[in-house]
Amino acid sequence: MLKLQDVQAFYGKSHVLHGVSLDVEDGQVVGLLGRNGVGKSTTLKAIMGLVAVQSGSITFAGHDLHRQRPYRIPRLGIGYVPEDRRIFPQLTVLDNLRTGFDRRGAAARTEQLLEQAYGSFPRLKERQRQLAGTLSGGEQQMLAIARAMMLDPQIILLDEPTEGLMPRLVGQIREIIDVLRQASVSILLVEQNVPMTLAVSDRVYLMERGAIRHEAPASELSVDDDVIHKYLGV
Amino acid sequence: MNELFQDLVVQMLIGISTGLILALVASGLTLIFGIMDVVNFAHGELFMLGAYMGWVFFTMTGSFWLGLAAAALCVFVFGLIMQRSALRSLIGSDPLTTILATFGISLVLQTAAIWIWGPTVRRVGAAFTGHVAVFHLQFPVYRFLVAMLSLAIIGGLWLFMHRGRFGLWIRATTQDRQMALAMGIPVPLVHTVVFGIGAAMAATSGYLYAPILGVDPTMGVNNILRAFIIVVVGGMGNLWGSVLAAVFIGMLEALAVIWVSPALAVIFSFAALIVTLLVRPTGLFVAVPR
Repeated sequence: MLKLQDVQAFYGKSHVLHGVSLDVEDGQVVGLLGRNGVGKSTTLKAIMGLVAVQSGSITFAGHDLHRQRPYRIPRLGIGYVPEDRRIFPQLTVLDNLRTGFDRRGAAARTEQLLEQAYGSFPRLKERQRQLAGTLSGGEQQMLAIARAMMLDPQIILLDEPTEGLMPRLVGQIREIIDVLRQASVSILLVEQNVPMTLAVSDRVYLMERGAIRHEAPASELSVDDDVIHKYLGV
Repeated sequence: MNELFQDLVVQMLIGISTGLILALVASGLTLIFGIMDVVNFAHGELFMLGAYMGWVFFTMTGSFWLGLAAAALCVFVFGLIMQRSALRSLIGSDPLTTILATFGISLVLQTAAIWIWGPTVRRVGAAFTGHVAVFHLQFPVYRFLVAMLSLAIIGGLWLFMHRGRFGLWIRATTQDRQMALAMGIPVPLVHTVVFGIGAAMAATSGYLYAPILGVDPTMGVNNILRAFIIVVVGGMGNLWGSVLAAVFIGMLEALAVIWVSPALAVIFSFAALIVTLLVRPTGLFVAVPR
């Protein structure tokens, strides 16, 4: 469904992606693991059209994303939950959720999606009139995910959703990933949390210095594997 | 003593009304800066263009309100074209490039105005000429009307930004442009429309101010400086900060006139600017939610 082939990208003037190739199939949860600064987040930004892609191709459900205007990419059904959450701090929780472009254009659909989002995150409903900037870190993470769900996406790009969260909340993120999987939403999960990623993913890519170095079904890897140590060990 | 009290009251009324007119120019300027990081050096010329367009239509139709609508509408469309053709591709690049671009446009517009309408000051009569007696002074009703209209237009802008989808897009884009794109908000369109709105606000202000100032090709340059001071004092990009700062600057200058000559009063505005930059560079009124 989502396919990257030999993607080269720059962040400002520095060459960050040196030919990234990966694919995510329908309904799959795919993990993308790697140390800090190897280009995991840039890979997601390249998919969203937020960094300049020099060469290679990015296709999603028959669309060439490289040729799309950035704001059209989410409308195709791609939700993005960035690393630092990037909620709109001066908007209320409800307004944050309403920013999502309703690609079917119907208000009724928005209401339905909103109910669905509040169903998954009752906490957000309690706080819907509150400014998003006043939420706790965990609540902001929930809001960022709920906001992406408002696009009724076929795939969600999740960038380090567990970063800086308490263990209890990490468990909650895992549950959310399972809920999304059951709703047959594909997920491309960027993480540094190896056990969690191996537990929720179908397949895993290991990334180093701007390129994919290894690919395996998650069930064939364990936290102690040599290959995990090689690309993620300290 | 009693005379000083009367002076104070009268000057405060003048200050508030001038402040509200300035707020209309300044809020357009701050709105544009807030959302697309463009310091619009052509804002004064949009103000000037609004005065000319409005009074062309006013003299043609004899209707004050038609003149107002024409000024807003013509310059709104002009703003859309200007943003789309000259600024859109520069957004996100070095701020210097948009400063140069807007400064260039301001020179072109000034020269065009001289070419079309000539350099002489056109005196235009106020549409409403009544006066209200405030102590010894006859306070023009027109000034009061203009202040109320300015406030109503700014209030209208606030409502537009807080009701409905497009306003939400404007606020989201102002806060995080990249994330707005990632939520499917058509950011380039939002930028263009906001520039048009800012231009229309400047135009409206120019038209309303024309009977007080007179209309000439340099009225933009001569009056925009205070709008820039206001935007900085109010906090760049902060709408209500700008409105408060405008009333503050308007009052400051009006009250200063009691003791110094009007030409010297502008020094107080500069003093406010310098103090702001030294003490609170992010704006004196940043605590006010936008």
